[in-house]
Amino acid sequence: MSTETIFKQLQDSSLSQSISQLDSITGAFAQLLHITGFLLILTGVLLVNLRLIGLGLNQQKIPSLAKATKPLVIYGLILLLFSGLFTFLPSATLYYPNPAFWLKFILLGLALFIQFTLYRKVTSIESPNRILAGLTSILSLTLWFGVAFAGRAIGFLN
Amino acid sequence: MSVVSILQVMHDSEFGTALRESLYMFPLIEGIHLIGLALSVGLIIVTDLRLIGGFLKEVPVANVLKQLRPWLLAGFLITFVSGILLLWAEGPRMWAIPVFPIKLILIVLAGLNAIWFEYKYGKNVQDWGTHLHFPKGAKVAGWVSLVSWTSVVICGRLIPYLEATQH
Repeated sequence: MSTETIFKQLQDSSLSQSISQLDSITGAFAQLLHITGFLLILTGVLLVNLRLIGLGLNQQKIPSLAKATKPLVIYGLILLLFSGLFTFLPSATLYYPNPAFWLKFILLGLALFIQFTLYRKVTSIESPNRILAGLTSILSLTLWFGVAFAGRAIGFLN
Repeated sequence: MSVVSILQVMHDSEFGTALRESLYMFPLIEGIHLIGLALSVGLIIVTDLRLIGGFLKEVPVANVLKQLRPWLLAGFLITFVSGILLLWAEGPRMWAIPVFPIKLILIVLAGLNAIWFEYKYGKNVQDWGTHLHFPKGAKVAGWVSLVSWTSVVICGRLIPYLEATQH
């Protein structure tokens, strides 16, 4: 079964049909939740990455800052997932040919991989190697901001 | 000269037309405006939550304010300049969407609140910031900022949404 067929089936599913029958206020609400989720993740990741490169909240220990911002990232991801599915399902076939959509998900996959491997490891250490901390920070920020940028580009290419 | 006519002059100018018709510049500026929010509004909300006692409670408030301020101001500058450029290109269309003037009013309110906070509490944060309980006014400023910036983001996100549903 091709990816395009899967997208078509998702769009034709009963859940998708139910969503598309809701009014535009619900759609606007989903968009608001999506941007809230995105802001929560970017802000949480930004705070820790600024600390990793020694440019913000330097008196704070890295592991405790990472722990404090973890709920922002987790709740942000949950919001993004549900609001994203809500927006995606009724128009799945519209997204299929959109290169920005695929770029967003490639970057998201990489951002999540780094988040739960390298970032998690580096932020669990009180004094990580400076080069490693700097590289993690640059990689993490580039990927997460890239996800947001590609996400915005979807609307322009649709 | 009314606001609409000023926006129309900007819209019709060579610069406004070039921005609007550029294949890459307009989406790029919109993207910058959006991700600038993480620096500006995202970090403002972190400081607001610290003021009202909802986040990073173990970090002295003076540290949060002092160390995040340059990033927050840089983010605000990015968001503000990119916002002006978007207005230059699409002003009359934006003005016609009712949430846009509301967004501007809320930005002015948030700005006045920030100036008042800086004048009244920003200078002597080292004195009160170490106490367990902050002055009531500082907490109120935190709440006003939190509510107004959240509302600014809501209005901002509704602009392209309402624009799309209007056409």
